[in-house]
Amino acid sequence: MTPLELCATLRNGMPDLFECSPAPSGSVRVRTPMTLPDGDLVDVFMLEQDSGYVVTDFGDTLGWLRMQSPRSSLTQKQQAMVDDICLTLGVEQRNGQLQLHCTDVRHFPEAVLLLAQAAMRVASVWFTFPTFTAPLAEARARAGETTADQVEDWLRQQRQLSIRRKVKHAGGSGRQWEIDYEVSTDAQTSLVFLLTAGTRPKAQRVTEHVLTGCFDLRELRNSKTPLAFVSLFDDTRDVWREEDFNLMKGYSNIAFWSRRNEIPQILATPLSK
Amino acid sequence: MTEAEFDALMADRAKRIVGDIAWLPDPQHAPALEFRKEVLSAAGPSIYVKGWYNPASCKLAYTLIHRETGRIYALNLGRGHRNPTGEQVGDRHKHRWTQQSRDKLAYVPSDITEPWSRPVEVWHQFCTEARIAHEGTMNAPALETEVTP
Repeated sequence: MTPLELCATLRNGMPDLFECSPAPSGSVRVRTPMTLPDGDLVDVFMLEQDSGYVVTDFGDTLGWLRMQSPRSSLTQKQQAMVDDICLTLGVEQRNGQLQLHCTDVRHFPEAVLLLAQAAMRVASVWFTFPTFTAPLAEARARAGETTADQVEDWLRQQRQLSIRRKVKHAGGSGRQWEIDYEVSTDAQTSLVFLLTAGTRPKAQRVTEHVLTGCFDLRELRNSKTPLAFVSLFDDTRDVWREEDFNLMKGYSNIAFWSRRNEIPQILATPLSK
Repeated sequence: MTEAEFDALMADRAKRIVGDIAWLPDPQHAPALEFRKEVLSAAGPSIYVKGWYNPASCKLAYTLIHRETGRIYALNLGRGHRNPTGEQVGDRHKHRWTQQSRDKLAYVPSDITEPWSRPVEVWHQFCTEARIAHEGTMNAPALETEVTP
């Protein structure tokens, strides 16, 4: 089928809102009415390959995602979202492209629609980007991402850090404590407690809880392989007071999420006995 | 980012990019090329420019990205756009940050006259309107003559 014939076939099976036109190298562009999160329209392409046809975005969707943030790749969690979306729609990821293969001309319109839907949904992974600047709580609620997820993503981007999340250690009382992160550098291993709260009363309770944990786990700081303690305050909300930091200073190094560039140095800071 | 901050950033004539720009292959082997460079400005180490060139889909894009805000300014060639008002903006459009609409509002820029297939020339026009001084050269991207999905 020539590109013009392919265009005619697609037009017969699709509403006028879908515009078909020949594109480079024998392919056909279908401009759909679907939009990406920024309002840009989704284009899909169709071309003959082997004994059938392939519908593809030529990599534009994942490329669009990379163009929205300073990052050069998706996190593991974001990639898992993309994988799940493609699994649901029967779309293949190949060479950075979203693709569908089709041999039956009667199914061409459906293939175009599925690929366009995949492009829209994959692009919506954008809502999980830290740079999505709705009010922070609204963004978290919409995207399903917590501060803890953001911290983990950020820690994993840092070089020469080995991270384990939700690690359990027994305190001197016998109680099991779940630590937010265990982070290892060449110099030492640190237990990182994330303090995050939406209100002042919650902030007080969280501080007291972490303080109790640090006290109960204090022997770990003097063990054969001593562990450092770091209290990481999520200070994106103004719920903390100087007294909270002073409480934790007696038992841990202090770090602030708004000054995360200081965290690698804090993680490498030797234990103070 | 407030609109005042955005306007000040765009008006800042001290914005500059140092060094040559080389187009690199798409990391996942799509038939596209891209680059990323830091933009030095009064805003500090927070602004990047990224480029996307896909001869298979006939698309070219240059975007300014603020580290905390995300995309704040972008030129798209080869891709259509629908504004929140319902207005259709064609294959040559720019996104510009506003507090109300973020980067979803686009307009047709009168200053971009080169086509998507001439990324170096488009780059010069983009830098002029964005008030970015590029202290270096952009290498022409290697053209793909065969589309291989």
